[in-house]
Order: sequence, then C-alpha cells, then structure tokens
Amino acid sequence: MGTKTGAMIQTVSLGLLSAILYFLLYYFNETILDWSKQGGWYFIVPISIAFIFSLVHGTFTGHFWDLLGVKAKSVKKRG
Amino acid sequence: MGLLLCLPTIGWSVAQEPQAQPSTLTNSPFEPANPKVETLDEIMLKISGMTGDIVWKASKGEILGSGNEITYIAPGKPDQEMITVTDATGKVATLAFEVGGFLELHLKDILFLFIVGFIGGLVSGFIGSGGAFVLTPAMMSMGVPAIMAVASNMCHKFPKALVGSIKRAKYGQVDLKLGLIMGISAEAGVLYGASIQTQIKEAFGDVGSNLYVSFVFVVVLAIVGGYVLRDAIKIYKQSDSVGAKEHEITKLARWVQSVNIPGTMMYFPSLGTKISVLFTIPLGFATGMLAATIAVGGFIGVPAMMYVLGAPGLMASATELVIAFVMGMGGTIKYALDGFVDIRLAMVILAGSLFGVQLGAIGTTYVKDFMVKMVMGVIMILVLFSRGLKVPVYLSEMGEIEPLSETTISILNYTSFGMLIFALATGAIIILYALIKGYMKHAKEEALAEEFSIAQATTDEEVETFPASAIQLSPTGRLKNVLLVSDKSEASRGAESEAIKLVQRTDGRLSAMSVLMINPEHESLARQLIEAEDNSSIAHLETVQKSAEKAGVNCDINIRHGIEIYQEILEEAERKQIDVIVMGRRGYTGLKRLMMGSNTAKVIGHAQCNILVVPKFAKIEGKRILVAVDGSRYGDIAANAAVKMAKYLHAPILLVSVVQSELKEKRHIETVEIIKRVESFIKQEGVVVEAQILSGRPAMSIIEIAENKGVDLIVVGSHGRTGLDRILMGSVSDRIIGYAQCAILVAKA
Repeated sequence: MGTKTGAMIQTVSLGLLSAILYFLLYYFNETILDWSKQGGWYFIVPISIAFIFSLVHGTFTGHFWDLLGVKAKSVKKRG
Repeated sequence: MGLLLCLPTIGWSVAQEPQAQPSTLTNSPFEPANPKVETLDEIMLKISGMTGDIVWKASKGEILGSGNEITYIAPGKPDQEMITVTDATGKVATLAFEVGGFLELHLKDILFLFIVGFIGGLVSGFIGSGGAFVLTPAMMSMGVPAIMAVASNMCHKFPKALVGSIKRAKYGQVDLKLGLIMGISAEAGVLYGASIQTQIKEAFGDVGSNLYVSFVFVVVLAIVGGYVLRDAIKIYKQSDSVGAKEHEITKLARWVQSVNIPGTMMYFPSLGTKISVLFTIPLGFATGMLAATIAVGGFIGVPAMMYVLGAPGLMASATELVIAFVMGMGGTIKYALDGFVDIRLAMVILAGSLFGVQLGAIGTTYVKDFMVKMVMGVIMILVLFSRGLKVPVYLSEMGEIEPLSETTISILNYTSFGMLIFALATGAIIILYALIKGYMKHAKEEALAEEFSIAQATTDEEVETFPASAIQLSPTGRLKNVLLVSDKSEASRGAESEAIKLVQRTDGRLSAMSVLMINPEHESLARQLIEAEDNSSIAHLETVQKSAEKAGVNCDINIRHGIEIYQEILEEAERKQIDVIVMGRRGYTGLKRLMMGSNTAKVIGHAQCNILVVPKFAKIEGKRILVAVDGSRYGDIAANAAVKMAKYLHAPILLVSVVQSELKEKRHIETVEIIKRVESFIKQEGVVVEAQILSGRPAMSIIEIAENKGVDLIVVGSHGRTGLDRILMGSVSDRIIGYAQCAILVAKA
C-alpha cells in the first residue's frame, strides 16, 4: 500500500534524525557538560537540548508504534 | 514569569559560602588541605611532616607514585573519598573530601538507564503518573547522587509537559488560570525545596542528601502506595464497575467551594465557581516542594485539584501539565545554575521513556481499571523497601549510628538494588502481559466480527433494485458498501445525511467511523483522555446510528485511533471492502489546503474505492448529475459511476468535457468524438443526457456550469496523483472539491 511506504519513510527519517541527535550528544558530551556547569546564562544549554530531543524523539516514537500497528483499542458497535 | 521568581532565590544561594570540610588534624599536613575534586580528575597531593617510607591509601580513587607527593586520580562515580597516609614511625594522617562532578557513563550504564527509562515510561503511561517513583530511585541505585537524580529527572519531564499542555489546550481541557495561579505557588515550593536540597548537600554531602531523599520516598510511598493498593483491592472486589464515571464533587471540595474569604476569591473556569486562593497556595506549594525533593509532583497536584478543589478529572490532569511545566522549568533552571543537571542522564532516560509511555498509554485501553491500580501499588511498595534498606547504610556512613560492618553494608546495598530491579521487572512484566493478552483478545474479536460482516454482505448482494441493463453487470460503479467518516463537527453534517440516503437508495450497508488522533506523550492523561474522547465520539456516532435506523438502515459504529487519519480510513475501507467513502469537507482552499494537507485529498489520492465529498449544506436530490470526461479511462470510470447514480436518483445527466482554449482545432474534433461516444453509452443505459463542450480552465468551468444548471452532484475521475506530484501538477478534482457548492463523487472503481 502506498500509504504504508510513505509512513515507513517518515518514521525511518525521524528515527535517523533522533539517532543523529543522540550521536551528537555523545560526541560532544564533555563540552556540553562543561557548558552546563558554568552557571549564569549557560543554563539554557541543557534546557534547549531537552526541548529539541523531546520534540524529535517524541514524534518518532509515536510514529514508530503506529507503524507497528500498536494503537489504542478501537471501539465497535453493531447496528 | 518563572524566571523572575527564580532570580532572587538564586542570588541568595550563590551568596552562601560552602562549608569547609573538616579534616582530622587542625593544621592539615596535606596540600591542598581542601581539594575540590570532580570525577576522573587528576590532582597532586603533598604531605608534610612525615618520615621514612610513606604509604598512601585511597578508599575510592587511585594513587600514582610514592613519597611525600603523589598523583591522585578520582573515581568515575561521585563519592566520599578518604585518603590515609602512614609513615615509617606509624604516624597516620587522613584526608576526607568529596568527589563531585558527573558520573562517568559506561555502555552498561547507558543501557541500564535506557531500559529503566523505558519501564518508567511504560509504568507512567499505564498508570497515569509516577514514572519518577521508579526513575529517581533507579538512578540513585546506579550511583547518581540524589540531587543530580532529581535534577536530571525534572529536566526530562518539563518539555513534555509543555507540549502536552499546548495540545490539550486546543481541546479546551486546560484551565490556564488555575494552572498559572497554582503554578506560581508551586514555583515557590520548588525553589524552596531545591534550596533545602542544596543546603543539605553542602552541609552533609551527598550522603546526607541521599538520606533525605530516600526518607521522603519511604514516607510518601508508604502513604500513597498503601492507599492505592487498598483502592485496587476494593475495586476488584466490587467486580465490574461500568464505564464512564460521572463527575462527582467530593464533600471536601463542596466545602472548599463554599468557603468565602473576602479579598482572596478568584473565579476558575474548570471549577465553575470562585474559590479562595488560600486553598490553592498550600496545595501548589506542597506539589512544588515534593517535586524538588523527589521529582514527583503531579501526584499531589491532580488528586488535589480533583478531590480538594472539585475540578473534573480530565481537566485536572490537563491543567496539571501547566503546573508541571512552570515548576519543572523553574526547578530545572535552579538546579542547572548550580550545575546539578546531567543532561546525558536526562536524555538517555527520555529516549527510553518516550517509547515506553506511548506503549503504556495505549496498553491502558486494553485492561481493566483495577489492574492499573494494582500495578501501581505493587511497584510502589517494592520501591519503598528498596529505598528503606539504604537508610541504615546512609546513617552509618554519616556516623549517626554505630557504623555497620562491611558485609552488612554490602548485603543491604545488593538487596536494595535487587529489589529495585525486581520492582521494575514486575511492573514491566505485568503491564506487557496484560497488554498482549488484551490485544490478542481484541484482535480475535475483530476477526470474528469481520467474518460475520463479510458473510452478511455477500448474502445482501442477491437483491437488485434498479432495472437490469442490457450490458452485463459491470464490476465498476458499485455503491452498496458505504463508509461514512464523521469528525463530530458541523462539516460532517451533510455527509451524514447523504450517506444514509445513499444506502437507502442502493439498499446497501452503512458503516460509520470516526478517527481519533491520540498521541499520548504525557503520562498523566492517557487513560482518561482516550476514554473521554472515545465516549464523546461514540455518543455522536450513536445519534447517526439512530437517524439511520429511523430511515430503515442498519449502521455499524467504529472508532479507530491513529496518527495519520487518512491511513485509518483507508485501512477500514479495505477491511470492509467498501465501495464508497462518504466524507465532509473542511472548506480549506488554496495555500491553506496545501499546508494543512487535507485528509480528504489524501484519502482521494490513495483510495482504491469511490469517494463522495459532501459539503455541509449540500443535498443530493436527483436534480441533475454532471459528469466530466477527458477521453481517458478515468473519465470512463466516472461516466460509469454517473450512470449508476443517475439510475438510483432517477436524475438526468449533464455530460461535459473541457477543451483548453489555446489548443488547436484538432483537439476540438477529438473532444467531440469523446463526448459522442460517452453520450451514446449513457443513452443506451436509458438515462437522459445532455452534452456540452466547455472551454477554459477545467475546474472553474465545471463549477460554473454546475451552478448555472442547478447540478446537485458532480462526478469526476481521478488520476490518483499523490504527494508532490499532486501539488505540482494540480488536481482538478481537488479544486472542484474545494470550490463546489454541491456534492462531488470521485469515481475510482
């Protein structure tokens, strides 16, 4: 089905984006930790990281489960 | 706003001097006497006043070199360090200091955190709150100092709270005023709680802070866990308590709402009445303090709003998100300024928890209510014991009680960690088991229902109500299995009545469905949210069902959940072997339609069956049917469908083809041929037909003539272009659907 392929591509790209973000976090982790420690306006570093990851990864995981067919129970009633 | 409240408190805590660490000799022979050490740091340590061979020993870190100057390497974990130096004469000097900084993370730690995050998310999505009940203790068991565990926990939760509250606000479930008012006192509570934490850490070190947090956990878990278990057992004994609970206001809330203290009253939309802020302030403050101490806040906030203030459950949960965001951000900023937020921990947990929370939230729809509470209670009691076992260890390390032997400490540590793992595993297993069982049962039920409905459909086929044609019954243009898609809004009205009328005319079968987009990211809502939205959609579809029954038509109801609405629609259409999908129209045109990605357009693009789009006020009365052909087989399909409709409606057909005026004479002649061919087919079918050749832009000329000639149904074919193709090449059917006043049938099969 055309729609499934489209959904799969979307999910995979989001997953890739999320993975890239995590890799960057790992690669630069010392620098980021140093920045976070400095106090003052540097508090914005962990805060903004939290926001970005939340958005990207949150969207990815939602699509992930939906793609696998794990959805909330559908409700049916006979007529 | 949160920032303004933060600043004075932060300024105050920065001005405080950290207390000096005591050493065993009043004039320390060590240099430096008060080393500031962080994990994995390397420092030089010198000792004076020692003779002969000097032996250095470090309890946690590493010593390199010998003599009276060595290199000390701090361990990878923040901890209490004790350095002992002995010389040839037997003189002993000790230096105690704390290794601060961030935990060194190995792969096993990251994996552990991810799994813990997943289970924490699973649990919180499932029970609606309380992920932190497992997350904070799990991090502490790993070796993360309490204050860092709490700070990192807060950091990963508040962005979700913001996203969640914005989404819920769109549905009108957020009482912003209540959220902000309570948020302010919660903010104060958080900052106060956070500064207490920081002070305890500075005065008593990590041990003291660990003890404090563990103690609070034990108390809170005992009270709440015990209550929840009792509640679960009560529900279980009462057996099946049916569906939606009516919003009852407790006696306490009634009293609170009746109290009038002049000068402090404020009106809150969710309560529908004024109450004194003297009630909201302590509640908010307590929520904030608890959040700053153990990173669990919603646990007080939601029940407080419901049982003390009398807010309806769903609104309390949604409004709590605002409070969680305000105090979460404030607390995180405060902790971040002090350098306690370990963003790596927070993000790894987030990675796992976002997977878990969606699964848990979805799973909650497949299980009974008491099961949810049971899981919650069991996990809480187990975590309570896990933390409780560590209390004597902390007390011993602090010297508050007789120091325990090494073995006792080991045993307690292992048992505590083991209990935590057991709690996590138990929770995960129970939830996953219930989920799989519930899901499989549901799938079986669905399969049975499907077989039944297909069997029914095939028996219906025998009946024919329209005059048999000379040509054999064509497989195209079937309009008997009808799927109505309704979104409860006004826009679906026309579609609803036309779907019923269509089934009446064709003696077919009607299924009505709604699709709910539930993306449960934030824990405290899932179950109630899904239930409430389901109930409201079911109620609406039931009214449609009643109207259908009055017209002598049977109607099935179905609610589906998913992220992409059009996908759910298409899957349902496939499953039920639908001939025509009937939908309303949002009325977006032009750029907005492009940006909004109309569901109707997507359904049309991907569907295998016919689609009937009915604008809000459109009625199909059989006045005149317009069909547009272009010589392609799509046009032929449209003509076929138009003929079928004409027979059901006893209506005449207006046959058109559009010639773009720039083209030459040849085109015009070709078009005449096309029209003639189709015209004779229609006549052969016994339908009255009038043919016309139009010129100009296809969509607009069709709409114009439809309006002029009183057409109440336009039939078009569709090339079925999707995505970018559709946007670039343009879709005539899209434009017609966007601008036409009457119903449009997009014929595909």
